[in-house]
Amino acid sequence: MNRTKAFTIPYTIWMALFVVAPIIMIVVYAFSGADGGFTLANFASMGDYTVVFIRSFRLALIATVICLVIGYPVAYLLSREGPRFQRLATVLIMLPMWMNFLLRTYAWMAILEKNGLINQFLGLFGIGPFQMIDTQGAVVLGMVYNYLPFMILPIYSVIIKLDHSLVEAAHDLGANSVVTFLRVILPLSLPGVLSGITMVFVPSVSTFAISTMLGGGTELLLGDLIEQQFLGGAYNPQLGAAIAMVMMVIVVLCMLVMNRFGEGEEQAVVL
Amino acid sequence: MKKNSAFSRFFTFLVFLFLYAPIILLIVFSFNQNNSNVVWGGFSLNWYRELFQNRIIMRSLYTTLLVSLIATVIATIAGTFAAIGFYGLRRRTRNVLNTVNNIPMMNADIVTGVAMCLFFVAFFALWKDFALWINSIQSLFTLPTRLTLGFPTLLIAHITFNIPYVLLSVSPKLRQLDKNLIDAAQDLGCTWFQAFWKVILPEIKPGIVSGALTAFTMSIDDFIISYFTAGSSSSTLSMTIYGMTKKRVSPEINAISTLLFVTVILLLAIINIREARQERLALRQQGAPSVSAGAPAAPKKPVIPQKLTRFAAALACCAILLTAGVGAFHNTRKPIVNVCSWGEYIDEELITMFEEQTGILVNYQTAESNEALYSLLKSGAGDYDVIVPSDYMISQLMEEGMLEKLDYSQIPNFSLIDDRFKNLPYDPANEYTVPYTWGTVGIIYNTTMVAEPITSWGAMFDDKYAGEVLMFRNSRDAMATALLYLGYDVNTTDENELRQAAGLIADAKSRGVYQAFVMDEIFLKMEGGNAAIGAYYAGDYLTAVENNPDLAFVIPEEGSNWFVDAMCVLKDAPHYEEAMAWINFIASTEANLRNMDFIWYASPNKKALEGYPAYYEELYKEELDQETYEIMAAPPETLERCQSYISLPEETRRLYNELWIKLGIQ
Repeated sequence: MNRTKAFTIPYTIWMALFVVAPIIMIVVYAFSGADGGFTLANFASMGDYTVVFIRSFRLALIATVICLVIGYPVAYLLSREGPRFQRLATVLIMLPMWMNFLLRTYAWMAILEKNGLINQFLGLFGIGPFQMIDTQGAVVLGMVYNYLPFMILPIYSVIIKLDHSLVEAAHDLGANSVVTFLRVILPLSLPGVLSGITMVFVPSVSTFAISTMLGGGTELLLGDLIEQQFLGGAYNPQLGAAIAMVMMVIVVLCMLVMNRFGEGEEQAVVL
Repeated sequence: MKKNSAFSRFFTFLVFLFLYAPIILLIVFSFNQNNSNVVWGGFSLNWYRELFQNRIIMRSLYTTLLVSLIATVIATIAGTFAAIGFYGLRRRTRNVLNTVNNIPMMNADIVTGVAMCLFFVAFFALWKDFALWINSIQSLFTLPTRLTLGFPTLLIAHITFNIPYVLLSVSPKLRQLDKNLIDAAQDLGCTWFQAFWKVILPEIKPGIVSGALTAFTMSIDDFIISYFTAGSSSSTLSMTIYGMTKKRVSPEINAISTLLFVTVILLLAIINIREARQERLALRQQGAPSVSAGAPAAPKKPVIPQKLTRFAAALACCAILLTAGVGAFHNTRKPIVNVCSWGEYIDEELITMFEEQTGILVNYQTAESNEALYSLLKSGAGDYDVIVPSDYMISQLMEEGMLEKLDYSQIPNFSLIDDRFKNLPYDPANEYTVPYTWGTVGIIYNTTMVAEPITSWGAMFDDKYAGEVLMFRNSRDAMATALLYLGYDVNTTDENELRQAAGLIADAKSRGVYQAFVMDEIFLKMEGGNAAIGAYYAGDYLTAVENNPDLAFVIPEEGSNWFVDAMCVLKDAPHYEEAMAWINFIASTEANLRNMDFIWYASPNKKALEGYPAYYEELYKEELDQETYEIMAAPPETLERCQSYISLPEETRRLYNELWIKLGIQ
């Protein structure tokens, strides 16, 4: 199969140009000042943004945990349904992605507004109104809502591939269903969980549209902060690049640590 | 296998309800008679009708479909071959390449988007030097020197983030493949290509298809990467929607989402039903008892290729049709002018009128604020001919040499502009600008939600209205409210005064006074009675009060800002002549009257401004309220209390940015 090696050449060049070079650009920008000279000033001022880093990682973490808590049972329950229902359900989980995520988030605005649907409904019983939109809770809700499918699908696709005879073996050896789940199914589905966590956490920590729409723009998240420096109201691409770079490094470190727990299982699970 | 209990089924049902509730809401409200997403006004198909007439939405839908299809086709082919290539590599090399391949997938979208944006802009700068050099040493051909973000860069970005998904779903199929199969085929006399076509391809087809589907889904759903790489000349559906969420989302968007959604549901339903039927058929023939038993690959063979061929054919058909469409579009390409203005800032019929009169296509974009416009221009993401910045931003752009002088001989309508709006401080010799509108800043409040009429900027910092106040989401206007309240000059460069002003806002924010920092979202919030007080522009108050009569407007006693927004042309604008035509058209009395009637901002055109009450009376058969007219076109005694912003020195601007970011961080 020697000649197939040649097939890698175009894509390798493509990756060098459009994946590696842009990332190098970020690094170059992060280390330069407004005049183009080398400087560490962008990183020196990073301390000012600690609050934003903490806020973003905290909200993303909460969203990821909620996604896991909801998503794992759904994936597990789905895998025990009949094949037709399973097929339908996986399609149904993927389907919302075809409706633009901004629109779905916008729909939440109408639901959560002070005069929105929930408050109007509660008003019928004389309760409320509650301030729901423009809070951190609303931002987390937006993240969970948008990224939940990314948690369910990888877990589901791992569970469905589990060798069922292992479960039967566990039962035969006297384990009840709780023990079977904890000792057999859960450990074996870990790769799916890990890839689900990655796929929820990374977009959550870097989101910018969701936080402006549901969070009211009073508390910046990392994504907003970066966007502001490039296309928003405080032009400073060098600082933006530095923040993006620090975020990238932290995320990569998190992933490395996490994958160490997963014993380097291949996380080749997409949709 | 044990079945799930009713309780766990109910749980699954709840999760699905959660996933679909907002979507159902959007679908329901796409049939709404009025333009609210909350109040049901009766069934109608209005929004579907309007959808097909909305050029901006249709054009961005077209861009979205086109970029997704082309990117999917290219990424699927490239990804498949790359996967085959990777498969034949030594393990170590493959691991390295796989890691790089995973980067776009694992990296945060915003980092990928920003990185590509920086890369493209840097490349364009290099290219310019290169092209100039090439053009200078030979005269056979001239290379274009000015490249900008646009459809090609958008496409490259989409292909780049799509290939990894294809690779990821093809690779496992290749790994399952028996390596000897190909050798066997070749031993039996196949060429390598025949072996690939007849042996490898059928085996990996399911992987290719699922990769292509994933890629297409990702392309359709993408917003962040497109946002940074599409520039201003092409806008995807998500970008259009994002622009709209910043002001009023027009319900046509609900309609188009519904249509897209229903199409996909139908397609998937058909594919699924067919799949299920064929599988059942295959199983019956085979007599296998259970599906999950993992039937060997052989009996599936006759089933899958058939379905796939049909799918691929459908996809290819769409792609060809659309490409043909593009071809036609390019052949009949008209002259174009790229305009960037603010949201809700033009009677869109004017665009149609201009296009019909002159045959020049208008690509109309909006920016959120002067500061955001500046970023768009600086970062290279905004490639416009005509922009409509405010006075102080005009001076700043002029100082940085970013504006082109206008050719007033091509703008005869400039003579119609009132002399008080000529030769203003931002353009003393009046060489660069033609005024578009002017107006004042003040406080909009809901009379049913405040105890007494608002008279002071103090209301913006008052605990009494905690959680009910909307503050500007741009540094200059937000700081001005505080500076005015403190009795300082809005153009102060004194660091102490500025820090004090920022401190005032920060303090109010920490006490929970602000419900949100907004720009055009204020329409939705104030009209819906979701907030009591908000600082904004007079013209927009008049728009809002049409939808909610409880609103009132005041220019606080401490004084305020009055501004002029003027049309300018950017340096090296590629469509200079068209830009002149557009400016001249907009400066005409008729365009000014229409605009005034639509956006409620005062016109600098003397005849239009004076004639507006009569125009209104003729149009609506009722007299224009004098108070309304004076809010729109502030009389001299009001203007006397107002100051215009002037451009700040760079040091102060940097301080503004710093203070502004700090406010957001807090």
